[in-house]
Amino acid sequence: MGYVFVKPGMSPKEIVQKVRDLPGVCLVSVGMRDAGQSDYKNRLRMYDLKTLAPYYNEMGLFAAECHGGARWHVGIMNRRESPFEEIKLLRELMPNVLLQTLIRETNMWGYRPYPKNIIEYVVERVDIDVWRCFSFLNDVRNMRTVAEVVMKKGKLFEPAISYTVAPWFDTKYYLKVVDEIIDLCGGTDEIVLCIKDMAGVGTVTSVTELIDAIKQKYPDLVINYHRHITDGLAMPVLLAAAKAGAKIIDVEEDTLVRFYGHSPILGVEALFREHGIPVNLDRKLAEKAVEKVREWIRDYEWAESPFKGFDHMVTRHKMPGGAFPSSFEQAEKGGFLHLMPYILQVMSLYNQIVKYFDVTPGSQITWVTCSGIVNRYAKEKGEEGVKHVIKLLKKFVEEKNQDLSAMEPEEQEELLQLFRQAPGDFKNLILGHYGKLPIGWPDDWVYKSAFGNEWEQKIKERKETSPLESIPDEDLDALKNQLENELGRPSSEEEFILYLMHPKDAIDFIKFREKYGDAPLVLPTKVWREVLKKPGDKVEFEYEGKPYCIELVSIGTESDGVVHVVLKVNNKARVFEVKTPRAKKEEVRKATKPNEVGAPISGTVWRIGNPQRGTLKVGDIVHKGEEIANLESMKMENPVLAPFDAQIVEICVKLNQMVEEGQLLFVLQPLENVKETNIPKIENLPH
Amino acid sequence: MKEIKKVLIANRGVPAVRVMNTCRDKRIKTVAIYSTPDRLAYHVFLADEAVHIGEAPPHDSYLNMEKIINTALEKKCDAIHPGWGFLAENPNFAEMVEDAGLIWIGPPPRVIRLMGDKIKAKKIAQRANVPAIPALLKVKSVDDILEWMKEEEIEFPIMIKAAAGGGGKGMVRVENKEELSIAFEKAKSEAKKSFGDDTLLVEKYIKGGRHIEVQVCADKHGHIVHLYERECTIQRRNQKILEEAPSPSIDEDLRQEICFTAVRLMREIGYYSAGTVEFLLDPQTKRFYFLEVNTRLQVEHGVTELITGLDIVSLMFDIAEGKELPFNQDDIYPNRHAIEVRINAEDPKTFNPSFGTITRLEIPQGPGIRVASGVYEGADVPPYYDSLIMLVMSAGADRNEAIRVMDRALSRGLRVEGVKTIAPLLLSIIRHPEFIAGNFSTRFIEEHFQELLAMFKEKTADDEVLKIAQYVAEISVLGPQNWM
Repeated sequence: MGYVFVKPGMSPKEIVQKVRDLPGVCLVSVGMRDAGQSDYKNRLRMYDLKTLAPYYNEMGLFAAECHGGARWHVGIMNRRESPFEEIKLLRELMPNVLLQTLIRETNMWGYRPYPKNIIEYVVERVDIDVWRCFSFLNDVRNMRTVAEVVMKKGKLFEPAISYTVAPWFDTKYYLKVVDEIIDLCGGTDEIVLCIKDMAGVGTVTSVTELIDAIKQKYPDLVINYHRHITDGLAMPVLLAAAKAGAKIIDVEEDTLVRFYGHSPILGVEALFREHGIPVNLDRKLAEKAVEKVREWIRDYEWAESPFKGFDHMVTRHKMPGGAFPSSFEQAEKGGFLHLMPYILQVMSLYNQIVKYFDVTPGSQITWVTCSGIVNRYAKEKGEEGVKHVIKLLKKFVEEKNQDLSAMEPEEQEELLQLFRQAPGDFKNLILGHYGKLPIGWPDDWVYKSAFGNEWEQKIKERKETSPLESIPDEDLDALKNQLENELGRPSSEEEFILYLMHPKDAIDFIKFREKYGDAPLVLPTKVWREVLKKPGDKVEFEYEGKPYCIELVSIGTESDGVVHVVLKVNNKARVFEVKTPRAKKEEVRKATKPNEVGAPISGTVWRIGNPQRGTLKVGDIVHKGEEIANLESMKMENPVLAPFDAQIVEICVKLNQMVEEGQLLFVLQPLENVKETNIPKIENLPH
Repeated sequence: MKEIKKVLIANRGVPAVRVMNTCRDKRIKTVAIYSTPDRLAYHVFLADEAVHIGEAPPHDSYLNMEKIINTALEKKCDAIHPGWGFLAENPNFAEMVEDAGLIWIGPPPRVIRLMGDKIKAKKIAQRANVPAIPALLKVKSVDDILEWMKEEEIEFPIMIKAAAGGGGKGMVRVENKEELSIAFEKAKSEAKKSFGDDTLLVEKYIKGGRHIEVQVCADKHGHIVHLYERECTIQRRNQKILEEAPSPSIDEDLRQEICFTAVRLMREIGYYSAGTVEFLLDPQTKRFYFLEVNTRLQVEHGVTELITGLDIVSLMFDIAEGKELPFNQDDIYPNRHAIEVRINAEDPKTFNPSFGTITRLEIPQGPGIRVASGVYEGADVPPYYDSLIMLVMSAGADRNEAIRVMDRALSRGLRVEGVKTIAPLLLSIIRHPEFIAGNFSTRFIEEHFQELLAMFKEKTADDEVLKIAQYVAEISVLGPQNWM
């Protein structure tokens, strides 16, 4: 078997001993998970990643990280692949390799704490060998349930400390976290400890000092160092970690490396070799895997970050590698990509006020809170407003040492409004719903700012317990019934687990797959995304052991929102009906927002304006209560009145047009400078 | 009697196509009739000529007796073949055909009329020493029934049937005394609605009963033979969906007894042409009881053709022309086992009719398979008529072989897209261990329905690939999607 030294089925103890016995270090390839998460929005598909499996199978990796993190959620939401299908396929293709997941303690593969009985139910049923588990608060209490279930089923538990570099997180602090972990896991013989440097900010000095300190206290503890590369300094730090005694290092295929992920496997092997550290790796096979990536990676250019290049400023804002692409994606979709530099600045100030680790779900909370603040200022006061709030925060944090009383009264007032619009998850965080904050709760003014007059009451409600204790169990049978009602049929165990993690997205996923079958698994990425363009284009694939071919013959012209497509499926022509979104867009626009005026009844618009001032046009000012249109219905006149003083932005109907109830008639711009702004909705999305 | 050179086929779909195939063999010209929605139907194209007969409702078209006869005369036909269903067992129509100087390809109208009355038929059967289910004929009231049950020592359940009935209409099983009066009223009103005659009869219910029928052929010269029996026990809602021959329920002695009993009855009533005597077999006592005579070609005649090598439709033509049967009873020697299933355009779970266009049709083929289809790929299944679109038959040296061939036909050969069919249910039935073992009654489907449903195959690779193609079609039109 050559380099293969650990395999599924070995006991945790055996695996740990095998690593200890290695003369040098071994590697985890994150090519199948974190690489994609960091630089390709988690869009790397099983169809392509599975081509690496035959090499992984013989390469001598410690493990392949192929599961967990946001890969689960993006899998069902975007790639339309189930994590269960992925495990099954990889088990077939690389039976020698330990499969590794990344799980967020009580938050698992979601963004909010799950009740204990769900955690137990799910962890018991997911077939993974190495369970890397981290807490964004380093609240080790929260890991207990995952640790217990994993260790009980004889799989390797890999607790991680969330690591960053900040004055208040010193080596002493981390050693205390390690103590708690060792205590939880009953020693060092059956676990691997991960140092999760998720933003990639550890330096040669800081990491050497930390690993040194841990190894002095726990000489037998196997340490795995995980470090992102955005600051441009990763490889020397990896080398330092190995020299200090880390036995496992996270890497990815060189050809996958961009700017937010991990160091290149071949480069790391060469660097270590030069420094006399043996690496357990079949380099020839690793080279082939690196080559293989080239065959498909260009199909994912669309998923790469629009901001390319290293950025040492990451050491200040500390956004983790895994969070970059989805943040950019959300900023792009929300139309505020240009505000990204400001948001990163606000983040670097924010994380000195509320201290925790920027990794899921903390990174989402940071992101939603900070991008919300920046967007609010931008909407209300433009870019100047954004600059103003950054100046304010800088003064508060950097000059006045976060002493609120040292600020001017109007500045105090502004700060006390800073978190008023903060997302619920931020408020839950400072109320202890996720667990204890690593070095204590934020100052009182943060609570005043978030909760206003209720702040003292809220502090009283703040929880000191782990969510494992405070969140009540859910009724699994009732949840299963809910799912089955939604599907209209019995659900499988796997479908139920998907539903437990992400109820709405799981249902969308299941319905997608009911409709489109295994399209996400069998179609090449180009076809999956862009499909067939011109007649004669075809896609060939194997399905259940037999060859199939789908060839485009013709695409018809659209009629009433329907297009007929003729495809040859295994040489037999078939007609497929496709409904276009235009079918929907042709639907009647409805008034939904406060500044939109809808038809009060169904009828004919027989007048736009009123007899006193005649017909209205775009740009006209109308006054509250003024008649702006009149509808006729069943021979009755029905005036439409202006709801407030406003300027007409759009008139959406023509004279004598038939309209239905609720149909949009006017879009208005309120005259008074109402603070009604449309802050883009930012939800907890995968990081 | 004159030679038939041209025939009008007063039917549509599977029966019309079946008859036309034999006509082609016999070089008899065919005239099809069609209703407006059947303008492009399969039987229209298979015929030598086709005549529009009326609008969609059967009364305007396939039941429009005068118009059909006039069409036959205009087209200079010599005869009319009614197929099965529609006018096949209508004695008035048979008479009108003969009165118009045309040959009626079927039994004498008098016999049709006689056997159409269940009560009369039962009496004739008794006269001919054919055992009948203990029954009370011409029931007037619930009290009549209770009195009869007391006298004859009959226990619930009992069956109430319409005297003029058939096809399961006006037929109610009564489980206990409490249900009796409601059931009586229900049967009465159904009988009135379906047959215009609310005369009822009551019978003892034979538990676990099996439906066995004997195919008989007789010429106009007094020769009469049986072509052995068929087992038609597998029914849903009192309608047959799977038939086989020979019956797995009876031994050789019983077979001889049933078959000769049928011949005796048919001789007694002066039957000619092809016809069937139906019996109910009580599996506990091995006694069989007369049910009714079907005075027509039956849907399931094909299994008899497969085991005997005869063409029953061809014999019907020869008999109608006045020819003598070309064989004696001793010449009939069945040496195969055959199964037929009815492919109905219905939801296999609910039996709701499924109408529309057959967008794709793949017909089973290979050794041992015979298919009688009433449709083609692209054909419409209109909502006005019977849901039968195709008969699939299999034959083998023994029952197991016939089942295996049928399994192949249904699981690999047949593919119908556009409308739902009961094929998945049929496949589940022939794979069910109790069916394979021959342990079944007319209630087999209701008793095993959940198991049968559970045996439906969820996915086939071909269906799955079509889903993938649907995706390809959609994205080819719409381009990369936001959710990607």
